[in-house]
Amino acid sequence: MQESLLEILCCPLDKHELELEDADRDDADEIIGGDLVCTECGERYPIEDGIPNLLPPDMREETPA
Amino acid sequence: MSGTDTTIDDATDTPRDRRTHVRERYAEVASADDDCCDASTTDADCCDDSAADDDTETECCDTSETDSGCCDASNGEFDLEDDPSRALSLGYEPADLEAAPEESNLGLGCGNPVAISNLEAGETVLDLGSGGGFDCFLAAREVGSGGRVIGVDMTPEMLERARENASDSELENVEFRLGEIEYLPVADTTVDTIVSNCVVNLSPDKGQVFAEAYRVLRPGGTLAISDLVATEPLPREIRENPDAVDACVGGAATVDELETLLDDAGFVDGSIALEGEWTADLPVASARIEARKPV
Repeated sequence: MQESLLEILCCPLDKHELELEDADRDDADEIIGGDLVCTECGERYPIEDGIPNLLPPDMREETPA
Repeated sequence: MSGTDTTIDDATDTPRDRRTHVRERYAEVASADDDCCDASTTDADCCDDSAADDDTETECCDTSETDSGCCDASNGEFDLEDDPSRALSLGYEPADLEAAPEESNLGLGCGNPVAISNLEAGETVLDLGSGGGFDCFLAAREVGSGGRVIGVDMTPEMLERARENASDSELENVEFRLGEIEYLPVADTTVDTIVSNCVVNLSPDKGQVFAEAYRVLRPGGTLAISDLVATEPLPREIRENPDAVDACVGGAATVDELETLLDDAGFVDGSIALEGEWTADLPVASARIEARKPV
């Protein structure tokens, strides 16, 4: 995930902005791990293998790890 | 259960159940080895319908228990298409197939939405239900380095494939994220064009899908999707059959329903153009669905 994309990402629940925390970057400066945290509700959305998991939390729990 | 059996095996079919069923089904498709489910294969270890008493559990192609969709094209009524060559008949050009990473075309669409959406350089494009990423890669070529394409899919296995395909390609303006099309993780008024290929029918809440699409489109932005539609109301036993839903026919809305949904979401200049009968057994056709968010 490229950091420039962050500006059009939002929380799937309340549509507020997300902040990047604990970012893990590869050599090309692409974000491959970390958390996106909603600035309003505080929900944390993990970035795994470069793909932000922005499923609503209740659906995410059904997702196999 | 054979593919022609239309009994309702899920009596408590809630939107959540349906979504989970769809996701599990498409996870199987995404995880399947390409060579495994080729209907033309003669590999007896795979896709052998006669092996119903086989004790060994094959990951896919086990037709003894459920209609897996991806292997028994000969007798399944609700098979998912797995033939990339079908893309040509759906409006893709041969050059399109060459331009996108080979693995990205899972042959699960029902039209070529990119061809109809008149993408321009520099646009931001959102693909609802991006699957293996095929349409995203084609769109990325159209919008160029100044534009960007975002694919949203709720199936982790699909996104894994899409991401692998993205890293194989030289395109740097494509991004994928895990999300639901009913809860788009995309900020308001940031998207120029929304594309989608045979996905909206899978949603148990199409009104919310269109409401979310409207929200993220900028004023004047375009919705340009391909999907299956019902040309007359479908029988209840089809609408409630999870396998029929997975195969993109059970959840197909009628043209009237879609027009109402588009109106209710606020879209204008809506058009639903039928393109051809999808199956001889049901009143379902592929359609181009276009509408615009007013300026």
